[in-house]
Amino acid sequence: KNGHSGVNSRECESVFVSPRPENAVTIAVSTRVLFRTEKEEKVFEQQGIEEYLRYQMEHENEPFAPGPAFPFVKALETVNARLRELYPQSEELFDIVLVTYNHAHVGVRFINTINHHNLFIERFCMTGGGSPIGYLKAWHTNLYLSANADKVREALAEGIAAATMFMPEKQTEVSESQLRVAFDGDAVLFSDESERIFKAHGLDKFFQHEMDNEDTLLENGPLKSFLEALGKLQKKFYAKGHRLDCPIRTFLVTARSAASSGIRALKTLRAWGLEIDEALFLAGAPKGPMLEKIRPHIYFDDQMFHIEGAAEMGTIAAHVPYGIAQHHNSRKKPAGGT
Amino acid sequence: MEAEMVETVEKPDVIPQVVAENALIVAVSVGAVFAAEEGEVYGAGVAFPLLQAVQTVNERLLQVDPSESERFEVILISTNRVQQQQKERLQSSASAHGLHKHRFSFACEDDFTDSLRQSKVHLFLTTDSTEATRAANEGVLSALLNPLSASGPSEQLRVLFCADAILDPSPGQKTGTHEAVQAFGSRLGKMRQRFGVGDSPLSLVLLTSHGGVNRCCSALKMLRSDGVDVDEAYCLGGTPRGLIMPLLRPHFLLAAAEE
Repeated sequence: KNGHSGVNSRECESVFVSPRPENAVTIAVSTRVLFRTEKEEKVFEQQGIEEYLRYQMEHENEPFAPGPAFPFVKALETVNARLRELYPQSEELFDIVLVTYNHAHVGVRFINTINHHNLFIERFCMTGGGSPIGYLKAWHTNLYLSANADKVREALAEGIAAATMFMPEKQTEVSESQLRVAFDGDAVLFSDESERIFKAHGLDKFFQHEMDNEDTLLENGPLKSFLEALGKLQKKFYAKGHRLDCPIRTFLVTARSAASSGIRALKTLRAWGLEIDEALFLAGAPKGPMLEKIRPHIYFDDQMFHIEGAAEMGTIAAHVPYGIAQHHNSRKKPAGGT
Repeated sequence: MEAEMVETVEKPDVIPQVVAENALIVAVSVGAVFAAEEGEVYGAGVAFPLLQAVQTVNERLLQVDPSESERFEVILISTNRVQQQQKERLQSSASAHGLHKHRFSFACEDDFTDSLRQSKVHLFLTTDSTEATRAANEGVLSALLNPLSASGPSEQLRVLFCADAILDPSPGQKTGTHEAVQAFGSRLGKMRQRFGVGDSPLSLVLLTSHGGVNRCCSALKMLRSDGVDVDEAYCLGGTPRGLIMPLLRPHFLLAAAEE
């Protein structure tokens, strides 16, 4: 047996049981969203890569400040701590992987930063310019967060739940004991089929269509699998009597209405066997104030309009570049749209 | 009794290559270069993309500096006894595949390692772990060619430095001293410096399988102090490396010096 082992097949692989990525909920986070790297990016843009790398190495012992994904990652670690208490042998945990297409010259600074912030990150890949998507697939990544919309689109095309994150100007405080994740419905948990109807034919046709199809399940959306992964971990807490104080809480924040178009969404979730803790049907009202009350660690939406609205009120929002909404201008407020 | 020891044969109608003083001499087992096939000409073996990649590195080095002497020098070495007929076949195969620039070294089975030492080979590459161990036992740094590299890149030479927390070599897997790896690594590092950050024909990659990010950090710093600035780094945190080897596509692996 040889395979990949080179000069250093000095391991006895039977002695060490490696964690298998498929058992964990793998969250891949780009360095640009876990940390704040705007200053360095400016150096790169203005002075080129050689100078950028030199700058990074010069500041190697200065840790980066937390970025928009930081509170989310910290909350994942809180959940892990609780899971380990209840299931000490289990591999079913969040596994956080740091991903960057930086050159490895910057590696030391990232590792120093990880240690400075006491982050529990055991895996990373620095691709030196190449796409990280292959590695994400190999590691059964359940969610990929990046600042780069192209890379996010690439991940979505490969069936990996992914979203683009932005640094909000202000950040409201979020829970340190409970992971709170909020999702838009259409084109995030569900496909964009209904949104297409609305965009093409307007609100009345949309309502009619939803009523006519109330008992037809909506198709999968790009973040459905991530909600599923969260649900599996939630059930582990419920199994040990921690339903009321479960450290994971999920929210649906949709422009659908409770009495009408929302029914189809609920029926679909139920048929999928997915529980969502709180479903908020806004019937077209702005999402910002509701999100400000919920204070999720992350909110997924397919429309930049909502992302911007959320960020204005201090909610950390992540854009899912999927579906029909990508072809529409974000600045225009859709009249009671989904 | 045949006293044939080492025979280095040059193709008569090719001007013999002058071995540059500071060449980085790499010997590749003929068994890895060619695939056994029927007919006059052997097929391309596992080492082909490596040879092409090495060629690309040399060409780019000369582009940067036409008088560059710290280039790769490749010797194609047979590790067992080769009949005259087979020698001719090897040479014509080499020609057919455009490898006539490289020297051949035909040796008796018992002493291909002598030949390695006499030619002052810095690195011996093979697909056969027994051969690698024998060479290492005779003090020649060896590495196994990554079998996956048969379909790997030929426009960029990719070398993987592996640093693992497991320190004890399993028997028969010794491949070189700490110093030998360090020395070779430094020379690769120096070669790498000749090219810019992007579009380099040589890429140095670090892989740490166990021990978390701090292990990787120590490895990065140690390599750096040896003059090796790696381009890519992967820290696996214990997950099986087989998952990503097809993505890393190294031509061969070196054990990074352990602390």
